[in-house]
Amino acid sequence: MADTPATVTLTIDGREVTVPKGTTLLKAATEAGKDVPHYCYHDGLSSPAQCRLCLVEVEGAPKPMPSCVTQAMDGQVVRTESELALDMRKGVLEFYLVNHPLDCPICDMSGECNLQNYVHEEGREHGRSREPKRVFGRDDFGGDVLYYGDRCVMCTRCVRFMSEVEQDHRLTVVERGSRSVIDTFFEEGLEGTHWHGNVVDICPVGALVSKDFLYKARAWDLTHTPGVCPNCSQGCNIDLHVRDNLVQRLKPRENLEVNAFWMCDYGRGNYEWINRGDRLEAPLVREGGSTRAMGWKDALSRLLAGVEGASGKGIRAVASPFSSNEDLAALRALVDEFGGGEIVYRSARAEDEIVLKGFPTLARRRDLAPNGKGADLLGMKRVGGDDATGGLEGVAGHGGIVIVLGDALADQGADFGSAAALYVYLGGHGGPATANAHFVLPTATFAETEGTFTNFEGRVQRFAPALDAPGASRPAWLVLNALVAERTQGEVPRTAAAAFAVAGTKAGPFAGMRYDEIGPRGAVVNETVSLSGD
Amino acid sequence: MSEIPFKNPGWAGNTGEFDLTEEQVRGDDLVGKRPVDGGHPSGAASYPYMVADRNPDATLFEGPYRERFEKILSRYPDKQAALLPTLGLAQEIRGHVSPESMDRVAELLELSPAYVRGVATFYTMYNKQAVGRHLIQVCTNVSCNLCGADEVLEAFLRYNDVEPGETTEDGNFTVIEAECLAACGFPTCVQINSRYYENVTPTDVPGIIEALRSGKAGER
Repeated sequence: MADTPATVTLTIDGREVTVPKGTTLLKAATEAGKDVPHYCYHDGLSSPAQCRLCLVEVEGAPKPMPSCVTQAMDGQVVRTESELALDMRKGVLEFYLVNHPLDCPICDMSGECNLQNYVHEEGREHGRSREPKRVFGRDDFGGDVLYYGDRCVMCTRCVRFMSEVEQDHRLTVVERGSRSVIDTFFEEGLEGTHWHGNVVDICPVGALVSKDFLYKARAWDLTHTPGVCPNCSQGCNIDLHVRDNLVQRLKPRENLEVNAFWMCDYGRGNYEWINRGDRLEAPLVREGGSTRAMGWKDALSRLLAGVEGASGKGIRAVASPFSSNEDLAALRALVDEFGGGEIVYRSARAEDEIVLKGFPTLARRRDLAPNGKGADLLGMKRVGGDDATGGLEGVAGHGGIVIVLGDALADQGADFGSAAALYVYLGGHGGPATANAHFVLPTATFAETEGTFTNFEGRVQRFAPALDAPGASRPAWLVLNALVAERTQGEVPRTAAAAFAVAGTKAGPFAGMRYDEIGPRGAVVNETVSLSGD
Repeated sequence: MSEIPFKNPGWAGNTGEFDLTEEQVRGDDLVGKRPVDGGHPSGAASYPYMVADRNPDATLFEGPYRERFEKILSRYPDKQAALLPTLGLAQEIRGHVSPESMDRVAELLELSPAYVRGVATFYTMYNKQAVGRHLIQVCTNVSCNLCGADEVLEAFLRYNDVEPGETTEDGNFTVIEAECLAACGFPTCVQINSRYYENVTPTDVPGIIEALRSGKAGER
């Protein structure tokens, strides 16, 4: 048998593209730089070809073809913007608007709505329907989801997400024709499902909206910053949507090797702590009986002077699995510089994993912190219980140097560190257990700095700063590495990339990696590093 | 009344192997009162709202109905495929498909209740609410509408003093609007239970209602 070529070459809008065999026209058009409008098609779901919006003209075909299910063939000539195709989509869009309330001014989706965009690009200027529109009002689906039936375009993405991906067939199309609405089994709702927030993401219009985000911000006022979800060790890729220096919501970002297009409701809803207002804003130094705020230079030089007096009695450190690899490596470097000692961290564990059945490599992991793996790789030891308390008996009364990074010590008493010769606390928030600290140094959270997390499988993923750090807060890696550099007369790593290189010197698995080469899918430790842009 | 075991070629659940009399299946009121022009003697009875006992509290799928349910299952490659006739059977037992019925059907067929609801609401021949002994469906689609279907519908509603979908106090009549009944040559078409009444005008309405009330249906 002759070899069948694994690729096909076709012409789309006059441009020749070569795609793997079996590629749909929609994906091939994307290759050719043309986005064909579509509703029902979604990369993570099956294609029912029911929205009829992705119709394109195929030369030789008797009628327009739905590009989301039509496979590309060799020598095919496709026109996505011919008069016929545009006319077809204009007609379909007019039908979509027959019953649409056009309540964009009060719709949360406005600004990122596919109906709005497509009608603006290709629709009619004015509708011709003079019939009254049917009205459904809104329906509370439970959980975080509200349904506005009037806005719905019946693409059934949400129905298919629940049946194919979450595999809990809670949503369905009720009634038929113009009376169709999406609904659950009467009062059953989506309560008790763990991934239903995704139906809001995949809704191409404003039919399914998040109660949490309802009327909170307009889409065009939000800046989107790529990040990594900090709420469990899965390391889902997310976008932080920020307005007024506050995180307004978290949205999943595509990474087929980690979370595909999805994220869990637990992670999605757990962002308010990033916005806490009661932050440490300036370095605090306790001298004698009083605590004074001072500049970084003064505080750090006093700290180094204090180390001279306190060294010799050993060093104990507490890290946090919410700190980046860079922060943890800098802490490791500092502890080593001060003579070496044990670093412990505490990390909460959930009762069980919540697996997404349709994409089983994705789960809300038991480990509810983003970087426990990074801490492990850097030789830190997990202590305490599954609620991230206790386990610090050896540190609380230690007489030498005590360094705490990131852990707020909420369960510790006011006598924590009272015996320490030098007690340094680095973190975002103060508390009773920081009262004895000789130095309280304000550091930035993951959302305010650049860095990497290592997820449960050892995948190192970068995140970018989404917020401005309050006051004089600095990234912990900068503060800690500056102290090390001062002691060793070395150079201060001024970028996250340079700070990541420190991790390479402190933990073998990171040694083979370069920060710049960690691509958008992340790179797994001890594996070939994917090239950026891959 | 008929003693002959009822044989129904059109109803998936009943091929005549069961000891149901015609009365049990069709209900007393219509046995022996077939459409004037003959028609298919069993087709009419196969429509799910032709119930023997309209008992909204009846236990679903017990006794002979359980046997029929098993028989339905045996005819399909998987349980999901048996959904439509099972819903039909549930409607036959209770007179309509209530949320509880849908839930029970979903449980029996190992489907999600939401899916069953989606299917049940898609098909208009499943009554989602209890209906009267006579379900009057007035076609208001194009042909009938052009020939005055709105007036016919209005006449039925006014004569019975009900709103669309409402049942008269005596439990006899429910009037609803229907889409095309495929009798466009004879507008206005009104379907009452399984019977078609063609070329209906508002003046015919009292006669039809009274005939039904007195049990003389089919002698129009």
